[in-house]
Amino acid sequence: MATERIAFLTQMVEVLTSTISFGERLNNMVHLLARYLKVDLALYFGLDKAKETLILNLSSRGHVPAHMRVEFALGQGLVGEVASARKAKIVKRSQPGVLAANRALEKLHPAFATLAGFPVADDNFLYGVLILVDRQERQLTPAERQNVHLATLMLAGTLRQALLQEEAKKRIAELSVLFEVGKALSVTVDLNELLERVVTTTAKVITARGAALQIIDGNTREVRISSKYGEIPLACPSPGDILANTPPAGDLPHKQGQETNAAGQTHYFLAVPLTFKGQLQGTICVYDKFAAEGQYLPFDPENRQLLYTMAGLIVNAIENALTFKQVESLAARNERMVRNLTVVQVLSRALLTTVQEERLLEIILQGLTLDQGLGFDRGVVFLVDETNQVLQGVKGAQRSAELKDMPLFEALLSPLAGEVKVEEWQVPLRSDQGALAQTVLQKRPYHVREPAQEGGRSPVAPPEFSPPEFFVAPLVAKDRAIGAILVDNQASGRPLEEEPLHVLRMFSTQTGLVVENAHLYSTIEANNRELLLIRERMLESDRLAALSSLASGMAHEIRNPLVSIGGFARRIAKLVDEKSPLRGYVEVIQEEVTRLEKLLREILDFTGENLSFYGDHDLNKLIDDTLLLVQRDLDACQIKVVKELASMPRLHCDDRQVKQVFYNLFQNACQAMPLGGTLAIRSYPVEREDGLYEAVAITDTGGGIPLEVLHNIFNPFFSTKDYGTGLGLAIAQRIVSRHYGQVEVNNELGKGVTFIVSLPVAKYCLVKETGQVAALASTLKAPKGGG
Amino acid sequence: MKKILVADDEMSIRLLYSEELKEEGYEVYLAANGREALEIVDKVPLDLVILDIKMPEMDGIEALRQIKEKQPDLPVLLSTAYGEYRQDFATWASDEYLVKSSDLEDLKAAVKRYLKE
Repeated sequence: MATERIAFLTQMVEVLTSTISFGERLNNMVHLLARYLKVDLALYFGLDKAKETLILNLSSRGHVPAHMRVEFALGQGLVGEVASARKAKIVKRSQPGVLAANRALEKLHPAFATLAGFPVADDNFLYGVLILVDRQERQLTPAERQNVHLATLMLAGTLRQALLQEEAKKRIAELSVLFEVGKALSVTVDLNELLERVVTTTAKVITARGAALQIIDGNTREVRISSKYGEIPLACPSPGDILANTPPAGDLPHKQGQETNAAGQTHYFLAVPLTFKGQLQGTICVYDKFAAEGQYLPFDPENRQLLYTMAGLIVNAIENALTFKQVESLAARNERMVRNLTVVQVLSRALLTTVQEERLLEIILQGLTLDQGLGFDRGVVFLVDETNQVLQGVKGAQRSAELKDMPLFEALLSPLAGEVKVEEWQVPLRSDQGALAQTVLQKRPYHVREPAQEGGRSPVAPPEFSPPEFFVAPLVAKDRAIGAILVDNQASGRPLEEEPLHVLRMFSTQTGLVVENAHLYSTIEANNRELLLIRERMLESDRLAALSSLASGMAHEIRNPLVSIGGFARRIAKLVDEKSPLRGYVEVIQEEVTRLEKLLREILDFTGENLSFYGDHDLNKLIDDTLLLVQRDLDACQIKVVKELASMPRLHCDDRQVKQVFYNLFQNACQAMPLGGTLAIRSYPVEREDGLYEAVAITDTGGGIPLEVLHNIFNPFFSTKDYGTGLGLAIAQRIVSRHYGQVEVNNELGKGVTFIVSLPVAKYCLVKETGQVAALASTLKAPKGGG
Repeated sequence: MKKILVADDEMSIRLLYSEELKEEGYEVYLAANGREALEIVDKVPLDLVILDIKMPEMDGIEALRQIKEKQPDLPVLLSTAYGEYRQDFATWASDEYLVKSSDLEDLKAAVKRYLKE
């Protein structure tokens, strides 16, 4: 007996210390025990603490199939009694109540007669109960009892080891999962990438089919961030839902549940809150734990613990990413601001390089549209036309990549690559004309996001120029809006960004002054040019005056001898007999002297000898009077006269001089049409910027003036004719300019010439009475035939 | 016989005028400048004076002023090669301003008018 016992214990210790798995060890131990005690069956019931039941785990006959896993509640049957009392007990089938209480064991051994139960426990825990079953009624010797006790201690030790190892394995697994999760979440600070990783990693770690994350603003309840992975069969509970669900004492806040859909498929979910600093609140929720194909499991408390731990990591990672994003956007904004300010600074420097308006506008437009500048797709500069009260498109440009590699300053000064035609873009300066007119009228910028509505009221742009969204800023100089700048991103359709617009606001106020200065400068320049022109004209008239005095001196010197020669020739003529050949000679002398004297008069007329006698005369009458003087010449050349004389008020002029003008022009026309033609004379009132004029247009059909002599026709002493002084047109012009009028020539080669003489009304009348001027003005403005 | 003084520095003009006026039946006195003209005006009871303007020693304008001072009623005609003296106020004292011409009909007509013939 003793040897058997020693052999048994030796075998038990061998099993206990072997390296085989705990399950195998336990199986072997139960088997050894049954053999040693020569009982039919040894069974081990493990305690399930949560359910407070004891389940058959091991049998000396080997593997326990699922349907044989008999269960006893605590206190039920021998198994339950031993567990509750923690004390060994032996019962017989024959004893009353035993069979009833242990009927379940009949399944395992239908003919059992003896049942012996022993608690499997150590000093602290009860692990389960060992039951020995035999067909015979029998007792255990004290030695056997002792050995069974030793065996239960060994079983308890092994079970404890197994539990500890299981626990350790789980902890290690959990830690390594958390380590993996932490690693996964820390590799990125990009929020979008992070969120994707969070849901993916969470689902994988929990072995769920799907995971969802949602972060809301605690104040507004607005969803700020959400991310999903896998299949999301149910809605993600809100943080409020979770917190409202009071957890059992000692448990962490969570929400867990299941729903069965119409198709009969049950889905499970588990959600825990994400608690952020500040007002953000979130939820992470996992769905449907993987079991087998098409089957899902509910989540267990370990999943919950793990998800909870992960939530802490997730919150940290998201908070980091959010902070980083914020810092990043601040840095980017700062960088853009610095860049934009640099643009303005360089632009200002470029604007200082010129005072020419045209160049300034080009530089401004470069600044607006260059990539290295403000980078708008298109820019247009408008200037106010004070006279017509319209905003006039002056210059436009569109973005071009041509200069993008050039430093900004050089690029600004380069010629515009993509000019846009905007000259036909005019906007009346009225408050009902949309943002463009308003920006000037109100002297403030407008950001128009819906131009369609804007245009519905009144079109702001020509049809080919329809920005999806645009921004206009006034050009202000000395508290006056002198124009506007418009920008849009029509070509690319990008929205207009706030910062370049902000820069444009700053920039437009500065630019207004620069443009205004250039405008003033150009006005000064124009005035200078005019002064130069006047100076030239004065020099010209000085030359004419010098010529006049020379001519006049000579004329006088010649006149005296001519008078003597002519006078004595006449005397001789009287003395010479009519039949004498001398008579003819003397007459030649007389005629020649007469011709010379006429020439002298012309010259002296030109040089201003003749006094002028001003009076109020009817211009049409002067034309008629003059026509009488040339009637003989007109008839001789068979020239038809066509008159179209508008009735006009009297003109203050020297009638003799004005008649001289017409006479010279009529004479010219006659000489241009020796073989006949038409002389058209038209008189009409003209209103010009500097006042009212009366004009007379004299048109011949003489074929026009050859181009090579056209520029010379008003030169004194220039003549294409074999006779005459060539002073005709020069005298006419002198007289007309003495009347502050103009002579214009319209030469149509092959047809004829039109001389237009226009004489001002107001200059003379002003000297008289202003009331009369007004009357005159109204007469002249009246429709034809009214005066 | 009416007495007419012709003052002109040009000898040919003096000759032409005196021949023409004598032919018209006038007694003609001649002077080569303003000073000579005034001497004759002082000595001779004249009916009419014809003065050139541009003359050496004393010009016609000064002579006209002095003659009109002494004898306001004595008709004085200015006969000159210069039209522009017409704008000189001093010449306005003359009775007629004539620009010289080889055709003396205008001159003779004016003389006749002032001598009331």
